[in-house]
Amino acid sequence: MKSIKHSWAEPYKIKMVELLKMTTPAQRKKAMKDAGYNTFLLKSEDVYIDLLTDSGTSAMSDRQWAGMMMGDEAYAGSRNFYHLEEVVKDVYGYKYLIPTHQGRGAENILSKILIKKGDIIPGNMYFTTTRLHQELAGGKFEDIIIDEAHDPENDFPFKGNIDLTKLEKLIKKHGAAKIPYVSMATSVNMAGGQPISMKNLKELRALTKKHKIRVIHDMTRVAENAYFIQQREKGYKDKTIKEIVKEINSYTDGATMSAKKDALVNIGGFLAVNDWDVFEEARNMVVVYEGLHTYGGLAGRDMEAMAIGIGESVNDDHIRARVGQVIYLGERMMDYGVPIVTPIGGHGIFVDAKKFLPHINQDQFPAQTLAAEVYLDAGIRTMERGVVSAGRKANGENYYPKLELVRFTIPRRVYTQAHMDVIAESVARVYERRDKIYGMKMVYEPKYLRFFQARFEKL
Amino acid sequence: MKTIIEPFRIKSVEPIYFNTEAERKLILEKAFYNPFLIHSKDVLIDLLTDSGTSAMSSNQWAGMMQGDESYAGSPSFFRFEETVKEITGMPLIIPTHQGRAAEKILFSILGEKGKYFVSNTLFDTTRANIEFSGAEGVDLICEEGKHPSIPAPFKGNMDTQALINFIAQKGAGNIPLCIITVTNNSGGGQPVSMQNIKEVKKICTENKIPLFIDACRFAENAYFIKLRETGYADKSVRSIAKELFSYADGCTMSAKKDAFANIGGFLAMRNEALAQQCRNLLIMTEGFTTYGGLAGRDLEAIAIGLNEVLDENYLQYRIRSIEYLTNKLIAAGVPVMQPAGGHAVYIDAKAFLSNIPADQYPGQALVGALYLHGGIRSVEIGSLMFGKYDENKKLIPAAQELVRLAIPRRVYTQSHIDYVSEVIIEVFNNRNNIKGLTIIEEPPMLRHFTAKLKPVAS
Repeated sequence: MKSIKHSWAEPYKIKMVELLKMTTPAQRKKAMKDAGYNTFLLKSEDVYIDLLTDSGTSAMSDRQWAGMMMGDEAYAGSRNFYHLEEVVKDVYGYKYLIPTHQGRGAENILSKILIKKGDIIPGNMYFTTTRLHQELAGGKFEDIIIDEAHDPENDFPFKGNIDLTKLEKLIKKHGAAKIPYVSMATSVNMAGGQPISMKNLKELRALTKKHKIRVIHDMTRVAENAYFIQQREKGYKDKTIKEIVKEINSYTDGATMSAKKDALVNIGGFLAVNDWDVFEEARNMVVVYEGLHTYGGLAGRDMEAMAIGIGESVNDDHIRARVGQVIYLGERMMDYGVPIVTPIGGHGIFVDAKKFLPHINQDQFPAQTLAAEVYLDAGIRTMERGVVSAGRKANGENYYPKLELVRFTIPRRVYTQAHMDVIAESVARVYERRDKIYGMKMVYEPKYLRFFQARFEKL
Repeated sequence: MKTIIEPFRIKSVEPIYFNTEAERKLILEKAFYNPFLIHSKDVLIDLLTDSGTSAMSSNQWAGMMQGDESYAGSPSFFRFEETVKEITGMPLIIPTHQGRAAEKILFSILGEKGKYFVSNTLFDTTRANIEFSGAEGVDLICEEGKHPSIPAPFKGNMDTQALINFIAQKGAGNIPLCIITVTNNSGGGQPVSMQNIKEVKKICTENKIPLFIDACRFAENAYFIKLRETGYADKSVRSIAKELFSYADGCTMSAKKDAFANIGGFLAMRNEALAQQCRNLLIMTEGFTTYGGLAGRDLEAIAIGLNEVLDENYLQYRIRSIEYLTNKLIAAGVPVMQPAGGHAVYIDAKAFLSNIPADQYPGQALVGALYLHGGIRSVEIGSLMFGKYDENKKLIPAAQELVRLAIPRRVYTQSHIDYVSEVIIEVFNNRNNIKGLTIIEEPPMLRHFTAKLKPVAS
């Protein structure tokens, strides 16, 4: 007898809806052309299912909305700040909190405080804004993720792990004094939302402790990473997500957080550290860039929504449904033979554009092309994560990343299983006609973070 | 009928927690005599700022519910953009998470060592952002603006002769921008006349210096022009605001003031090349160009607020309520900035506490006394905020020692305001008991936000 499938189901019901507009193929053709074949430049009202990002796009809970009404908008000493501070201590375990308007605000401040000109910042794969802030502060990013991460088909369960030999070599080459911190991300975004294991973290901690190097945690999707540890790592299946998150953080010295992901809010972030001196410097700097240290450029109500959202984000049922939905979509795509990064990550499906469109050279932007084609088919908006996102080196040459991916990021608590079916079927249709798809050329390129505003033309 | 009533009624309330003078004494000590370090739950009437503290309207809350949180190309952005374009007449609109972020972006592009930014008066964060870029900020306020007790209709005006002289002295090439702050916040919320803006524009054009408006309180300024300047009595505030913006090449705006929003700001300008540079920086520190670090719902709230603030019944009530408190204080002999400004009452602490020297921070001492006696939170705009040290570490005092009581928009009732005036008058009658303060600890920049103080030994 065939074993009965265990379906995941949402641990919530819908309280408020947002209406969607359906578009025709002719409308989509025009909209995509007007947007220079860059999905970032599409108007959201021309989009049917928006998988551009899981950042800031979550549906808040009724409790979070109630919290919004409890916003204390005092310029200094807002009640919501103290609530948030308490929650960050309780759930994440960091001592000192600096709220910021979003994650990149925290990265900006942290990079300016810790990085000196000529420093090396090792990390488990770059992320666009993180690396840019490190470079602007005078540092150089060095990738120390394990090699498996660069192979979309390798089924290693913890493809977000750090290769400690690579790190040791860097320490030997440059000296520990040149390395202000290791930039460690949980659920490595550019690798396809791949987790890091607790064992790897412990080893990282031991090595960095020996050399007196800080570990700074990019923790925007830490709860999703904790879920994979719970499911895959020995000794964690009976621990709660909250316990695992706290243990992860215990091996680090501080964190930057974009609360727009895991923490289920539409705006907000923070910097959290255990070191009083770094905190004090950050507190002085946040006033210039963000806002006074008890609001950091956020409305009081947004700090309240964040405090409540953090609590909801480490609920086991929530995370199971969240990751379950992503895995459901990935499995449907694989049923159709679509090449995706495996194992399936926590926040989205990453389609392997090199394998999907093997006849398009990386210079002709296969992932950018595929994202445009997916939009044209059914109005689904995705994002390129390949050569366009990687940008250029200091000497002007393009970075050519091994991974040329299209990211289908799933907003939290927003879309239903029927939406997931529509997405998988649309991608399958594009896959069927892949031989008739041609590459593109870039006709406008901004200086920084070019993927946001670049424009293309079809070849 | 001489009573002006609020053109709104209350839809949602927030409780105030009461405490005793003995409790407040401990709280004040624990906050090191710095109002920025007091928890808001310990404050009865919070007049620390009118920034981000407005009560939004039911229409704005409805807009909040319609916020489209798409990362790119949200219709909330397009509604916001359209409104800002319509009011400012400027084609290029860039949202930011608040006003200081707009300033930060603008000054990082235009500022560097050896450059001067001239203004009627720069506000604290504006000045800090300019200095952070290595440039210098220069205030060229008109003579009337320097004397708190002498009334004049447009005490926010720039001294145009001083501007001409300064350009001649430093060279137009070293002045990347002229900034007019409307209304002039550090100078008492005093308005700038249309005539003055036109004259400044003429000088700027002749010298090829772009003119920007710091537009936080543009509607309040436009209403003063309507009331006080010849030829504007019959014009709508909206058309006055549009005329005001028509003389500028760009503006920075903190939407936390005259747009009734709790968060948000923007940059608007006419120069495409500059706008592109701003957008490139925006993406790094703020967010993508169609959200600028704001939730979609906040863009909606700003768009709706910008239209609400131009309602003349509202502006009449707003300006009249500031005047009401000012006049009560004048009648009791309390030295205040005259005439009443647009968003706050400014007490002249130098005259109020003539026995306390500048290096004992009379303004900050008065802020402490008002909190202690009545739980009112205000802010010092004097030597703590703007003072500097000479090479011998001796304080160079600010030109004025003011205490600002900023009135949040649509939040407090007339009885709250009556209570405030009673507290101030009682403190005034017992002013000889107030002691000066000394700094124990201070950060290198924007020290007033986090500095720790204690009373001087008597």
